[in-house]
Amino acid sequence: MKISTRGRYGIRLLLDLAEHATEGHIALAHTAERQKISARYLEQVAVILRRAGYIHSVKGASGGYLLSKAPSEIIIGDALRVLEDDLLVVEPLKPGEKENKLQRCLRNEIYNPLNERIAQVVDGLTLESLLCSQSPEKSYLYFI
Amino acid sequence: MKISTRGRYSLEALLYLALHTTEGSYMSIRDIAENTGVTEGYLEQLFIPLKKESLIQSIRGAQGGYQLGKNSKQIFVGDILRAVEGTLEPVACIQTKKCPQESTCITRHLWGNIFSSMIEFIDSISLQDLVIAFNNMDKEEYAL
Repeated sequence: MKISTRGRYGIRLLLDLAEHATEGHIALAHTAERQKISARYLEQVAVILRRAGYIHSVKGASGGYLLSKAPSEIIIGDALRVLEDDLLVVEPLKPGEKENKLQRCLRNEIYNPLNERIAQVVDGLTLESLLCSQSPEKSYLYFI
Repeated sequence: MKISTRGRYSLEALLYLALHTTEGSYMSIRDIAENTGVTEGYLEQLFIPLKKESLIQSIRGAQGGYQLGKNSKQIFVGDILRAVEGTLEPVACIQTKKCPQESTCITRHLWGNIFSSMIEFIDSISLQDLVIAFNNMDKEEYAL
């Protein structure tokens, strides 16, 4: 029941861009250094977030990345689903795939409710609320 | 965020035992395999940690086999998953690993919230709850 490195780094990248939004375009190398994570890996994560429309980049000497949406509009659950493919504890039933009664019982009683609980947590949070949960006094920094 | 095959198969096997064994009666690994669709070899592997955690017990001999290690009211889904999956934390920094940035890390807070909402749920559902739900499934299906 793990969140992948991709998911973890992706959320940290979004947070870092939000926190430093006033500094213009952010070079990934700076984020990597601040967050103490591999710049090369961060680049791969940035590609995924860029394709999904969460961030955009500008090339050149003063280039780098910016959030494409306001932190209040970025729902953590959506971003995690982009990074993780899905947040389901068990693969959904494929069309035509059969389950026995034991499996159906477990899906109804455990897996589906568990998926709902996870969704409730992550869909109730935005990038902004996550930032505020840490340091309310810094909240003036991340409006765009 | 997937529950492993080990986890799912263990839940299926233990629910099957909870449904079909009573005190003093044991079920052979072959019977469990035939009725759950999990191979005998795989079940044997899973039963090692499950037995270690006293979630199942076994006796040898002609009438031997497996049954639950304690009352189905006292075996929770969380116990079963932890026995075969180890820690259920979505990210290692929640329980296993110490992180120097622990106190200031915003994402740890997020992973912690996901973790506690999951744990709270799976530690509240016992095998007995699943047995009741299973037995009610027929009624619902016939009602449709």
